[in-house]
Amino acid sequence: MSLQVEDALVDLAKEKRRSPTRTRLWNVLLAPPALWMLVFFISSVTIVVLLSFGHVGDTGKPVFGFSLDNYKALSDPVYLKVFIRSAVFAIATTAISLVLGYPVAYTIALHGGKYKNALIAFLVIPFFASYLIRMYAWSTLLADEGLINQLLRDTGLSSGIRFLNTPGAVIAGLVYGSIVFMVLPIYASLERMDTALIEAGKDLYHSPLQTFFAVTVPATRAGMLGGVLLVFLPALGDFVSAQLLGGPSTYMIGNLIQQQFFEGQNQPLGSALTVVLMLALLIFMVFYLRATQRVNREK
Amino acid sequence: MASETVPTTGRRRSVEGKPTFAVAFTALFLFVLYVPIVVVVLFSFNSKKSLSVFGGFSTRWYQDFFNDEGLLSSLRASLFISTVTMLCSIVLGTMLALALERVTSRPARITGTVALIPLVTPEIVTGVAALLFFTGLGMKLSLTTVIIAEITFSISYVAVIVRGRLSSMSDEVEEAARDLGCTPFQALRLVVLPTILPALIAAGLLIFALVFDDFILAFFTTGIDPQPLSVRIYSEIRMTISPAINAVGTCMLLVSVLLISLSLVVPRLLGRKDSSLDLISGG
Amino acid sequence: MTEPRLSMNRRDFLRGSFGVGAAAALAACGFSGGSSTPSASSNASSAAPMAQAKVDGDLIYYSWADYCDPAVKAGFKSKYGVNIVETNYDGYAGMLAKIQAGNAYDVVLPGARYVELMRKQGLIQKLDKSQFKNADQLFGWGSYFDNPWYDPNSDYSTPFSMWTTGIAYRKDKVTTAQGSWNDLWNEQAKGHIYVLDEDDEAIGMAALKLGLDVNTANPDDLAKIKDVLISQKPYLRAYSTDDINNMASGNAWIHHSWSGDFLNFIKTQATDPTQWVYELPKEGAPLNSDAWVIPTNAPHPGTALLWLDWLMQPDNVAKNIDYLGYPLLTKTGPDLYAKAASAYPSLAVDVSKVVNPTVYKNHDPADQAARNAVWTEVKAA
Repeated sequence: MSLQVEDALVDLAKEKRRSPTRTRLWNVLLAPPALWMLVFFISSVTIVVLLSFGHVGDTGKPVFGFSLDNYKALSDPVYLKVFIRSAVFAIATTAISLVLGYPVAYTIALHGGKYKNALIAFLVIPFFASYLIRMYAWSTLLADEGLINQLLRDTGLSSGIRFLNTPGAVIAGLVYGSIVFMVLPIYASLERMDTALIEAGKDLYHSPLQTFFAVTVPATRAGMLGGVLLVFLPALGDFVSAQLLGGPSTYMIGNLIQQQFFEGQNQPLGSALTVVLMLALLIFMVFYLRATQRVNREK
Repeated sequence: MASETVPTTGRRRSVEGKPTFAVAFTALFLFVLYVPIVVVVLFSFNSKKSLSVFGGFSTRWYQDFFNDEGLLSSLRASLFISTVTMLCSIVLGTMLALALERVTSRPARITGTVALIPLVTPEIVTGVAALLFFTGLGMKLSLTTVIIAEITFSISYVAVIVRGRLSSMSDEVEEAARDLGCTPFQALRLVVLPTILPALIAAGLLIFALVFDDFILAFFTTGIDPQPLSVRIYSEIRMTISPAINAVGTCMLLVSVLLISLSLVVPRLLGRKDSSLDLISGG
Repeated sequence: MTEPRLSMNRRDFLRGSFGVGAAAALAACGFSGGSSTPSASSNASSAAPMAQAKVDGDLIYYSWADYCDPAVKAGFKSKYGVNIVETNYDGYAGMLAKIQAGNAYDVVLPGARYVELMRKQGLIQKLDKSQFKNADQLFGWGSYFDNPWYDPNSDYSTPFSMWTTGIAYRKDKVTTAQGSWNDLWNEQAKGHIYVLDEDDEAIGMAALKLGLDVNTANPDDLAKIKDVLISQKPYLRAYSTDDINNMASGNAWIHHSWSGDFLNFIKTQATDPTQWVYELPKEGAPLNSDAWVIPTNAPHPGTALLWLDWLMQPDNVAKNIDYLGYPLLTKTGPDLYAKAASAYPSLAVDVSKVVNPTVYKNHDPADQAARNAVWTEVKAA
């Protein structure tokens, strides 16, 4: 699926010629979804931007304005720390998902045989059951007196490990929640890959390892990029994993934004945080699109 | 780690050629994936209230679940939200996909592509924006506002899945239909729509599952109506959780197994080789 | 604003459609118009006839999760033939945000200072006490809550429960407790200490440790409080209001905790109740209460009155005390609670002390913003 995500984005840069006869029908078809997105997405994002220049009124309600106070407040090192932490968590999540997800996609795509579909279904099923309930199950398993620590103690392997309420737990939660979105696009690009390439690579390179890095990895770069996008974006904006598995110092941007809207009662500051998050993503997308375009050219 | 999974041969090799490490790793991966699922199912039949000590077999938490009007109304709310969102976003998303694939003027294409931005926007941004939009207009937060936010988020997903299918379909078939005297609309209905049916099923399934499980958007836009299931589960996890939640999880698991099996079987019944699952995975 | 609407109707939708691109017009619509709205609706509510206790629809219920015996709810449903549509919050600030966003509930259970805030903002209705058959259980027997600080004459609210905030710890893990808020910095339990994830509770705890007023908004005080809370982070496992589960899971050795939750935990979840102690730190402990209110925009105020009345009934009071572990503020409540908590002297809650200086109070907007900022920065650090 995700392979088409960047296709669509990259498309903007490309001109595609079509016979003009059917244009009117297509324009008619474009109108309703475009109007919907204009009303409910573009204009609501506009409100966020406008409100980020506002302040909290005397009754505790947000008021529009034209001040940069919220952005000045964000220059406090505390917020910078949260932004850096979120970026580190999201990058770690993406990298771990890639390293863990690739072998799985590889095995299923190239060695799944007739069980390929069943294996993919087996992989997807847990992701269709509640994420929150699965997270909760993990937190009971990994609790200090949970099943896993009991096993460790009973077998004498360890006197108990503190898994929960650590940065590692937050990242693990994020990986667990979205790794399927890494596996699927890589699986898809491995499926599409011409296996003759590997055969040819074997003749050219000596070790299977060299073949893998010289042939297979480049051939599936589009799938990896798709996976990176689908894992990185949700991870960067997440607040659930840090809320349920995090400790005292694992606050992410998502938590900060959520707090401004539901606890701190400072919607303008929350809006400013949201705008900064959007800007950070814009920068990420520019680099991302450059990377996908390079892949497309190589294709 | 990935390096050790390198095979010495291409695909479609027989069993003896499988690299043991890669297979073992995948098995371990799937095992870890299923550990919490097993815990949820097991403890849903626990006779004790504990979530860590198993007392014996009992169905009391299922009785609790089926008698808990709050949980049931949340379940109904989530089913309603997912169903309506699925239907609306399939219609709007398919329109967008068709237009994106065929529209020629640059302004129209830019508009269409802008409509895909939610795909690359973290949900929390969409959630904040939707909340401010609704409260700014003085609209009461309700299931309706949740549905509007979820549709906004889903249209682009449907569009990319359907578009993937469209781009693999050659223009000639449609041209032929036009040559045979079809109006553009007839060509769309008789030729294009049947071709993209598996993609529609795939998109519908995906949207249903994503929306049913979605927490962040629902959290920001939910109001006085029964809370969507995910929001209720979240507040229970944060406060005091009842083991009935495990019964809910087990039922959701059953339904998802059913849905995914359907997605594998239905296209085959319709005489198609490619299953909807392939389309979700992009295969 | 006061007209209750359950879901979006056509007018909303049209307003939505016309809102396109006219974001500036919103300023007039929902946001900055805020200052006039509350006063307008508060006038309306004092002028309008008060609600009558009779069934006028299902009960839209908004409270903490699991903060009422299910048997009490079941009894209400069968007696009046109505459903209870339940929604939960996990903190008072979040609750207020939802109500200010216009969500209409029939009954809500805010903490005392939020009752005052909502009354002043015109968000809750005046109650006609003659509508309560069990009014004598709650009022008129010399109870402090006949005229509590947050709501003169309890005109707008019916008091519900009361608690202290203290420290729960495990004797088998912690042997060096000093009976002070310093215990939340205990070396033995480093990494196993939890602090309540509520701004008032965390700031209040730090203030008491420093010998300051729990309600302080003085910039110097707040700077000290911020530093001391940040100094605590290496000792903490997490900030959480889920004290019962954190103690049950074994993750917490020391928990900044609510008295009622502690009793509830001891009675229902603790594997070895004798290992647990609840201490009231010598620097003073916050003592707070909550009360039921009916929002101005409640769709079914009649059913809501019946619900408040139902909770005052002695049988239901007994059931709820047993289930929740909190003293309820009726005539029979304190005695029933004293019996339930007799094994734990530190859990005693003295109703007469509810006017003490550790009650969380409201602040003017600038002070409140300063306190919020401290909490945000502590959490973010």
